[in-house]
Amino acid sequence: MGVDDVPLDDKAKRMRDLLSSFYSPDPTSPSRTPNNNTTSSRFATLDTINTTTFDADQYMNLLVQKSNLEGLLQRHVDMAAEIKNLDTDLQMLVYENYNKFVSATDAIKRMKNNIVSMETNMEQLLEKIMSVQSRSDGVNTSLFEKREHIEKLHRTRNLLRKVQFIYDLPARLAKCIKSEAYADAVKYYIGAMPIFKIYGDSSFQDCKRASEEAVATIIKALQGKVFSDSESIQARAEAVMLLKQLDFPVNNLKVQLFEKLEQFLVDLHLESKEIRSSDLGGIPVSTSSSAHEASIREFAEAVRAYRVIFPDSEQQLFRLAKDLAAKRFEATKQQIKKQLSSADLVAMLRVIWTDVLLMDEVLPEAGIRDFTFEAAHDAIKQYVAGRFSHLLLDISGFRFTRYNGISKKDVKNTKSTLVKVHDNQKGIIEEECPLQAALETSKKALVQGSMDALLDTRRLLDENLEVLSTLTDLIIEWVREGFQDFFRKLNDQFLVLSGKKYSANQDLTFGEGMQGDKVLPDLVLLLAQLSVFIEQNAITRITEEISSFSRGGTRGFENSPAFIPAEICRIFRSAGEELLQHYISLKTQKILIVLKKRFTTPNWVRHKEPREVHMFVDLLLQELDTILNEVKQILPEGLHPKHRRTDSNGSTNSSRSNPLRDDRLVRSNTQKARSQLLESHLAKLFKQKMEIFTKVEHTQESVITMIIKLFLKSLQEFVRLQTFNRSGFQQIQLDIHFLKTSLKDTAEDEAAVDFLLDEVIVAAAERCLDPIPLEPAILDRLTQAKLAKNSE
Amino acid sequence: MQGGSNGVGYGLKYQARCIADVKADTDHTSFLTGTLSLKEENEVHLIRLSSTGTELICEGLFSHPNEIWDLASCPFDQRIFSTVFSSGETYGAAIWQIPELYGQLNSPQLERIASLDAHSSKIKCTLWWPTGRHDMLVSIDEQNLFLWSFDTSKKNAQVQSQESAGVLHSLSGGAWDPHDYNALALTSESSVQLWDLRTMKKTNSIDHPHVRNLDYNVKRKYMLVTAEDESGIHIWDLRMLKFPVLDLPGHTHWTWTVKCNPEYEDLILSAGTDSAVNLWLASPPSGDKPTTESFDSPYKPVDPLLNSYSDYEDSVYGLAWSCREPWIFASLSYDGRVVVESTKPHLPRK
Repeated sequence: MGVDDVPLDDKAKRMRDLLSSFYSPDPTSPSRTPNNNTTSSRFATLDTINTTTFDADQYMNLLVQKSNLEGLLQRHVDMAAEIKNLDTDLQMLVYENYNKFVSATDAIKRMKNNIVSMETNMEQLLEKIMSVQSRSDGVNTSLFEKREHIEKLHRTRNLLRKVQFIYDLPARLAKCIKSEAYADAVKYYIGAMPIFKIYGDSSFQDCKRASEEAVATIIKALQGKVFSDSESIQARAEAVMLLKQLDFPVNNLKVQLFEKLEQFLVDLHLESKEIRSSDLGGIPVSTSSSAHEASIREFAEAVRAYRVIFPDSEQQLFRLAKDLAAKRFEATKQQIKKQLSSADLVAMLRVIWTDVLLMDEVLPEAGIRDFTFEAAHDAIKQYVAGRFSHLLLDISGFRFTRYNGISKKDVKNTKSTLVKVHDNQKGIIEEECPLQAALETSKKALVQGSMDALLDTRRLLDENLEVLSTLTDLIIEWVREGFQDFFRKLNDQFLVLSGKKYSANQDLTFGEGMQGDKVLPDLVLLLAQLSVFIEQNAITRITEEISSFSRGGTRGFENSPAFIPAEICRIFRSAGEELLQHYISLKTQKILIVLKKRFTTPNWVRHKEPREVHMFVDLLLQELDTILNEVKQILPEGLHPKHRRTDSNGSTNSSRSNPLRDDRLVRSNTQKARSQLLESHLAKLFKQKMEIFTKVEHTQESVITMIIKLFLKSLQEFVRLQTFNRSGFQQIQLDIHFLKTSLKDTAEDEAAVDFLLDEVIVAAAERCLDPIPLEPAILDRLTQAKLAKNSE
Repeated sequence: MQGGSNGVGYGLKYQARCIADVKADTDHTSFLTGTLSLKEENEVHLIRLSSTGTELICEGLFSHPNEIWDLASCPFDQRIFSTVFSSGETYGAAIWQIPELYGQLNSPQLERIASLDAHSSKIKCTLWWPTGRHDMLVSIDEQNLFLWSFDTSKKNAQVQSQESAGVLHSLSGGAWDPHDYNALALTSESSVQLWDLRTMKKTNSIDHPHVRNLDYNVKRKYMLVTAEDESGIHIWDLRMLKFPVLDLPGHTHWTWTVKCNPEYEDLILSAGTDSAVNLWLASPPSGDKPTTESFDSPYKPVDPLLNSYSDYEDSVYGLAWSCREPWIFASLSYDGRVVVESTKPHLPRK
């Protein structure tokens, strides 16, 4: 409670408080009371003057304490003026209230007088109303009889009218029939039905019979109308409705109509089959397909009508529609099995799609569109898979047949073809380059086949068919998968053909037949080269083609797990190497047999003096010639004529320089063998290792060199197993000398070959009891004699 | 040896082809090797690997009358071994005993216990039963198979039985089944023949030509490993002889010899004329259908070749696992160099 407030608006506040205490029923102001009660003693202020708990003595004390004399005087004057004001205010209020009270008393007095006069008026009114009521009662009783009579007459008239209607019914029905207003007729007949039911057997017998006859004709007419295709669907639907109203068994009709639809479908199917066959027969597609379309349209119309007529039969229709689509796809799949071109497939799909669209229009709820997508999905998948298996068959078949020169695609019986290859090989050996030709054709077949397959599937994609466009990604995926699978299988087939792998599918006799020397080395070489071609050429081409094919497709090509060119490349690279290795080992096996015979048969310890170069050298050179011939046809020429030191597979011996070796041979008689060996050991320490078995490349030179190296190494090993007398050693020396001159041109890695040749002589010298070499002059003479003999 | 190899080397004076593990010596890892020199005095070396494994010590050096084409150590007496030798047209085989106290003698002489001189054609090899004491010895020449009963105490050998394999089959070697001392496998020109020593009859054969060497798997019964000139290494199941269970590529040139490890069942060592020794880990598919399984996985994810030791100067003909320390093997190249290597760094962790 601020003391500062007091001087500010002391007067106004007091006035307000006073007024509020006057009007409020509770004399104590609620806001002030609690405060003042508690504070009055402690915080005595000058404001308490307006409260109910005002203590005059306390106030005076406070005032005296707080104010000076002047202030007290001033206060006194103020207080006196205030009291005077308050008195006049109070007087004014009393006067006003009194006035109001007087006027109210006057008003009450006037009201009392008015109410007394009103009571008599009310009594008069009651009397008048009573008289009106008695009069109206009188009128009512007087008119009652007449009204009764009129009502009776009216009922009779209605009855008569009904009777009249029934009697007229037959005529009316006839009229309706004449004017084909069947709906009215049915309405009338149904209206008359209850009466006929009750009185039909007695009074209205004739009428009933006549109208029933009429209705029978109506039913017949309606039935006809339902079945007639020329009528509008609306009319037919109406007819069915009417028939239903006439309690006619509609279900029969429905079944009949449905059968008709089914029959139609079968006809359509047959027709489409004919179209297909005629398509393949070469008759222009457009005419037959337009005819087909017309019939489909008709069918769609029929289905539409049926649906309108029998709205509750949708399920059946759905089934029917699906059946149609399924049948069409069945036919398509049959065709796919027969390997049709993609253009045909697209055409078929297009026809089916238009059909489906038509059907879909009629039966949008049937889900036939989804069904078609699914079916098309299957069909195309099958198509792509089929395409690749055909490709595989084609290529393997093509290769053999080309190789044979027989244009018979008998691939299933691989064995027989292989045998044919074998026979044929003998026959055409005189031809110029059978292998080369075979390789070229197989290459072409492979690339062409793959490209055809791609183009075919591409055509599928290029067609702007809605079914196909949704499947684009999937198709691309399938194509990739197809290629992956195709190459895998091709690789397997290669390996089986080369006899490297025993096929699980083939019977045992065949497997045995493939083993050993029955495998044709040249075929192996051909396959090897083909593998290389696939790895280096075909795969990239196909990869390019595929990536262009996917048209920057939705999925990144590299991410696709289905076709991994790198993996295929790897497979074929290893296959190529393996096959080439296999070819080499097949060839060396042949050479090995010659060598074995040569070294195991004679008694080397009692060998006679060499007179001429042994004939096994001829055999070997002959064999080398055939190899050279085969290799030259197929393999490319090497780019690196120099011996490569990298890629070493194995290594043997140190290269000891030739002069040293010759030296050694000359001195071998006089010097101790131990020092020889020591010397050679020493030489080894200072010479770099000669790498002999380098990695084979797919070049003529590399293969030939490899075979020669292997052969020479074998020769060395054979020599090491024997013990020679002087003549035996000299024979070997002579043979090697001759070989040296002959092999000079053929081998790529001359250093290694020379080294190996020397190595053979060293081995022979080491294994000789009495190693005295032939004089170079004699060697030359014998070699010349041999050459002269050969050239004859 | 040249850098990069961890092998321990030992040089023989002359060229050599054969080396054998002295199985009966349980205290040391030792090998016997014999030289092949046409004109010089041939020697048999008894080599011992020092306990630290870093050095090869010559324990004994004995002169041998002829060049040694084959050498086999007796599996139950470390001082006894057999050799096959020839010189020019002469040939022979004998059982030798290393004299006691040879270390103290100046020039110890081998004691010839018995001569296996019943052969009429060139002897190829002698075989001891590898698994334990069995007083029998097999010797093979080009056409015949001899079974000798051998008495160590009396120091003589007698022909127990003999059978000809036929003139057409020129035999080249063989192996004695470690699981069954009645079974023997012989290599001939056109096939591998399986013999029963009780009846001395051929029981079966694998029609596979050009087999140069073969070895039974000590740890797996019925498993036979063969090495061929050209087509590498094949592993056969003796219950199914039509197709090999597993093929290994072998060597670039001939695969001369194969040896199965006596302890680790899939570990195979091969030596070839391409101057290399290859260490293989070959797990033949077990189960009933091994052949079809090998079809299914033509591209094995694991390379069976664990390591190729190629620091050799010449063809490697001799190869022997140590029975005492089965991770150690000795190889012998034609230039007379013995190299003992440990395969431990190359073994897969188990």
